[in-house]
Amino acid sequence: MEIKENLCTGCGRCIIVCPVQAIKIIDNKAVIDKNLCVECSICYRNAECPINAIKSRRLKWPRIIRNPFSDVIGTHKLTGIPGRGTEEMKTNDVTNRFRIDEYGVSIELGRPGVGTQLNNIELFTTKFSQIGVEYEPMSPVTAILSDDKVNIKDDIKDERVLSAIIELKIPKNKINQVLQVIREVEKEIDTVFSVGIVSRVMEDGSIPVIDILDQQGFKVNPNAKINIGLGRA
Amino acid sequence: MLAAGINDKYPDSRKRLIRIAEIMKKHNPTNMMMEAAWKISPVITATFTDIETVKQITQTLKEEDLGVSIVISGLISEIKDAVKKVGLNMHTVHLSLGTFGKKELLPSKKTLEITTMCGHHCTSSQSIEYYVKLIKSGKISVEKAAEKLAKPCVCGIFNISRTIKILNKLVNQS
Repeated sequence: MEIKENLCTGCGRCIIVCPVQAIKIIDNKAVIDKNLCVECSICYRNAECPINAIKSRRLKWPRIIRNPFSDVIGTHKLTGIPGRGTEEMKTNDVTNRFRIDEYGVSIELGRPGVGTQLNNIELFTTKFSQIGVEYEPMSPVTAILSDDKVNIKDDIKDERVLSAIIELKIPKNKINQVLQVIREVEKEIDTVFSVGIVSRVMEDGSIPVIDILDQQGFKVNPNAKINIGLGRA
Repeated sequence: MLAAGINDKYPDSRKRLIRIAEIMKKHNPTNMMMEAAWKISPVITATFTDIETVKQITQTLKEEDLGVSIVISGLISEIKDAVKKVGLNMHTVHLSLGTFGKKELLPSKKTLEITTMCGHHCTSSQSIEYYVKLIKSGKISVEKAAEKLAKPCVCGIFNISRTIKILNKLVNQS
């Protein structure tokens, strides 16, 4: 994003809508901090700038990588769906992506609303490489991992995004190891992250993983996303 | 949501998805994805304020048997009962374990209650403070402020009715 200095009147409307507080008034003009800006385009679409001083500029590599991880509009080339996630469990009744003997894990770095540098992904992938996990092939995060599935490609490591979702699945017996990684990274990381666990529901309606998480000291929120099984291939 | 490479291969997949959108719209959602996006998005979302309405929609969707995946977000206990009453079972859940890491970077809990309604976090925390000030000074109504806060959320998942309640609390407590 760019704010045309010669047009800006310093009204501050763009400051209010920026989700990562990347815009400040300096000498009566709104100025975007290019390091903090995640290229989400929210100021461009929602600030209602009275003189259209906010411009969407063509981004170059590597900065362009910020956009698909931050801007909800537009479909990601790899996933084919809007936003930075995948279908994950939303279509599991059709795809059977998560089987009865597996759990899915989603770790969304930077959420809620703090943002993250892409190199924080490596804090997790380094430790997950010791466990052996299966990354979601359609995830935008998987697409930026190098072949060893540990490192982020060098030229984009320092890029800042609104959030990046590590999506993986594991056999049920690895859940405690993954939870241990979450506890370890929590102490090292310089941002926030939210964690989700995907599980099939048993025929009697029970969700046994809730007890396992509780035993490991993880409190499950009372609300969840629930696929009600009406889809079919 | 249409499963890519499977449901979207149906010749009438878009028609099925739009039929779901029409059913949801008929039940007066507090917010919903704008109609212009129904023709292109693989997912259509709507937000409701009570489980009884969600149960009625689920009943209709079951009867129409469109074969498209339906996901409900809300309290697990309520959804479990609601789908059971219409003869369905939950298939897969995405449980939330909450937030970890440097939580000192987060705004207040009440602010987060509003900003996290948009899963893509398109509503900023400072916009909450801004509209609370405007409401207190009588420059905008609570209802209009909630609509303004919902605007960046293009998915229509932002719960406007709940935002009005939270804004009222924030206005009265500060």
